[in-house]
Amino acid sequence: MSSEKECPPIDLSTKTCPNREQRANGVNVFFGKASELVAKARNGTLCNRERQFQQSSGCVLNFYLTVRIPTIRDAAVVFHAPVGCSSSALGYRELYRGIPPALGRPEKFDLQWITTNLSETDVVHGASGKLATAIKEAEQRYHPKAIFLLTSCTAGIIGEDLEGTVAEVQPEVKARVVPVHCEGVRSRLVQTGYDAFWHGVLKYLVRKPTKKQHDLVNVASMLSYTWQDRLEIKRLLGKLGLRVNFVPEFASVEDLEQLSEAAVTAPLCPTYTDYLSRGLQQGYGVPFFLYPSPMGIENTDGWLREIAKRTGKEKEVEDLIREEHAVWVPKMKKVRDEFLSLKGDGTPLSVLGALGQGRLLAQTPYFHELGLKPVAAIAQDFDNLVLEETEQLVREHGDFPILINTFQAAEQAHLTHTLDPDLTLTCPFQGTAYKRKKGMTRIHALRGDALPTSMQSGYAGAIACGEFLLRSWKAKSFQQTMAEKTDDPYHPWWYQQPNPHHYVPEEPVRNVSGGTP
Amino acid sequence: MSRLASATETPREVQQPVLEAPRWSCSLGGALTTGLGIYGVVPILHSGAGCGLGHQFGMTYASGENAGGALGGTGTPCSCLVEEHVIFGGESKLRNLIKSTIELVKGDLFAVVSGCVPSLIGDDTNAIVREFDGKASVIHIKAPGFAGTSYDGYELFFEAVTDQFLQARPVEKKTINILGVVPFQHLFWKGTLPVLKATFAKLGVDANILFTEFGGVENLRRLPSAELNLVLSPWNGHRAAGKLEEKFGTPWYAYPAVPVGPKQTTRLVREVAKRLSLDQALVDRVIAHEEHHAYRFAEYFGDGLILGLPHAYFAVVADTPTAIGVTQYLTNEIAYIPDIVILADNPPEAARPAIVHELTDGIDVANKPEIVFEADSHKIRQKLKNRNFLFLLASSLEKITAGEEYGAMHHSIAFPSYDRLVLDRTYAGYRGGLALAEELTSKWVGPL
Repeated sequence: MSSEKECPPIDLSTKTCPNREQRANGVNVFFGKASELVAKARNGTLCNRERQFQQSSGCVLNFYLTVRIPTIRDAAVVFHAPVGCSSSALGYRELYRGIPPALGRPEKFDLQWITTNLSETDVVHGASGKLATAIKEAEQRYHPKAIFLLTSCTAGIIGEDLEGTVAEVQPEVKARVVPVHCEGVRSRLVQTGYDAFWHGVLKYLVRKPTKKQHDLVNVASMLSYTWQDRLEIKRLLGKLGLRVNFVPEFASVEDLEQLSEAAVTAPLCPTYTDYLSRGLQQGYGVPFFLYPSPMGIENTDGWLREIAKRTGKEKEVEDLIREEHAVWVPKMKKVRDEFLSLKGDGTPLSVLGALGQGRLLAQTPYFHELGLKPVAAIAQDFDNLVLEETEQLVREHGDFPILINTFQAAEQAHLTHTLDPDLTLTCPFQGTAYKRKKGMTRIHALRGDALPTSMQSGYAGAIACGEFLLRSWKAKSFQQTMAEKTDDPYHPWWYQQPNPHHYVPEEPVRNVSGGTP
Repeated sequence: MSRLASATETPREVQQPVLEAPRWSCSLGGALTTGLGIYGVVPILHSGAGCGLGHQFGMTYASGENAGGALGGTGTPCSCLVEEHVIFGGESKLRNLIKSTIELVKGDLFAVVSGCVPSLIGDDTNAIVREFDGKASVIHIKAPGFAGTSYDGYELFFEAVTDQFLQARPVEKKTINILGVVPFQHLFWKGTLPVLKATFAKLGVDANILFTEFGGVENLRRLPSAELNLVLSPWNGHRAAGKLEEKFGTPWYAYPAVPVGPKQTTRLVREVAKRLSLDQALVDRVIAHEEHHAYRFAEYFGDGLILGLPHAYFAVVADTPTAIGVTQYLTNEIAYIPDIVILADNPPEAARPAIVHELTDGIDVANKPEIVFEADSHKIRQKLKNRNFLFLLASSLEKITAGEEYGAMHHSIAFPSYDRLVLDRTYAGYRGGLALAEELTSKWVGPL
């Protein structure tokens, strides 16, 4: 893992975390070879640049936190924001309801949030009174165990004193109030939102361990991991006699409080989990590792071994891996053989994938297992937290072009068009890039999906995902018809020039602060 | 229904209470999605980076799981303002963005929608937009999220178009504009508008529906040539129509709902016919033919209805124009009994008496429903407890509680609806009631 000097210790005496830009030199603009990317990161010349053409891509609040934090089961969320900032949370009551209780979803649960619905008057006169009202209202209505306060650009710019209000109101409410500084304007990188959330969790919720739970494994899972992924992880760790503490999505407040008591914190996505993992180690001595993630057979072996090392299960894990390999490796071979037969000459299909930088690291070796050839990678952002691992990736699997951008639809359409891979793994956040002659499918399913076919984690997931990708090759009418029959939004010159970063100037942006609002 | 001019004169409510899950977004969201609904408009956000993507989840997905399209979601050009712009200003970023968008993105009208951040930091967005005069059609809609709702955003869009883009045109007889059907907020906007256009075409009236048609910007240009602006809501579109009246002298008429089924559609047709002095014989002929056919089809569901589940109590939670249309249809045409109607879109006080009138005097039933104006989803949930209704026609926010807490069958008919795909479907017009009857009956029907 990246060394300590690259990553300063976590300081919970501050209101919030530093931005990813400052904490780990995070950027979301780069196009070139992966080897150049890591060289620039090493010699300190990797920097953010100001796009002259840019598209909406999600902010610190409204990429992840708005939709995900309201799924914490016995908590409530207060958005200290104008009404629009929480509109993306309107699906809150339905999330996770598609999972049958037979698969382990509680029969009854309630999710809830309130907006302070900031108005012009509030902007002029301040809204701390309204925030206090909202907190008390949430307490009285929902009797939650915790109340998360999620902030917005407007609350930040008008200088709302969140901590002051919390100090004033906390004695009157039973719920633990957890301020999360996620003003959209604070950072270019949506990952700052994860860190800001974990900062609040570590500072306000995680308790001093009352006992050590030696069989408990913290697993922080993102929206891109489905219910079936959880079941597979539970199954594997269960065979080692370990229990999983999945946070934060669809967790209880107790699950968050007991994070300090676990034997180890394991990643599904390393940079998503990073801040939490470091905080738990620093504060409570909970060991962690960040690499690999359980995607693909080899990665899953490694992931299990890392957990076993920290839970005294070194011997059991080898038995488990042997048992699992006997079941899954032959199935993987079948998938691989089928992939390698598709072109007729034994050459592999080329694939363009990745989404977050975590997926970039996990997916590349997995593609090789499947018999797919990654031609390039796209990642939302890049920072020093994955620098060593990316160097290792280049050493082991060779150099590759990489486009770092946060959901820039025109750039992604350009790269997909230029490279024209056999298969592109896309998502709606990549605009029109799915419309094409060749293969296309989704990069992942979402949280509430309970279908076994949507699984990607662990051994069962490695096979399920391989079979899923094979299926995408069998039918291509949708992307082909849409490519032929609908209008492309961009003028043809866009695709006739070679550079997806045509609108990115050379000079770096000005950095203005360490991210503390 | 007389024109509700007073609704536009109500001062904006300064008090915005804390709310659980109100069923709208901010004015930026409304202006953005209004732009997305008019093909040929390219929205450009001058805002934080999440304001576009957030509305993919919060408005387009919420409107019957619709993708934002090539220019929505992550496709929307956006200045993606961060801290350094807060300190140094976002104007140069916006200037570059407009310039590059005009170069790169196909479109006929570029609509800059500015949000909270530029308003708070004092960017002179108007000045930047005016630099493009003579180079491309660019307008500015000032829509900070703290200053209004997505319903306001719709009005702001048309006010900006009227002030900055439209030029007077000679009035063309028998042409109307249809306003007040707010895209995405009205769940069935894509089906409703073409259906009503087709109905008016049978009467020899050219209805300009603006949305869902290629050449949408030409549709905008044609706005001043209408003989009448028809507004299909007791409160939405009134500011837009008022603005067009002020600038071009176009009279307007507000029908109180999106009309569902033959009775309401005939009422609407007659009101419009009167104002356009249409040929009475033609109007009668069209009405007779449309009604005859719609009711011949209604015969097909007679057995299912009468043997299966007649005289059912129902509840509605919806935006006002949807709630009135659906309640009147179910009550006046298939003899269902309204238990409670919750208007969840916070219509202005001045518009409320007329809304209550439509839901009491306007329905043919012995006991009148309880009528509630409530926007807080928690209070709505409490209000629906311990009642008689068997059907709950609402948003998908009520999907879970309908069965668990009220023992009712649930059907999504209003924003937000994440549990159904809505493309061409509509309940509007002569045959729209049949669609509603199909969907509702399919909730419970089995072998008779």
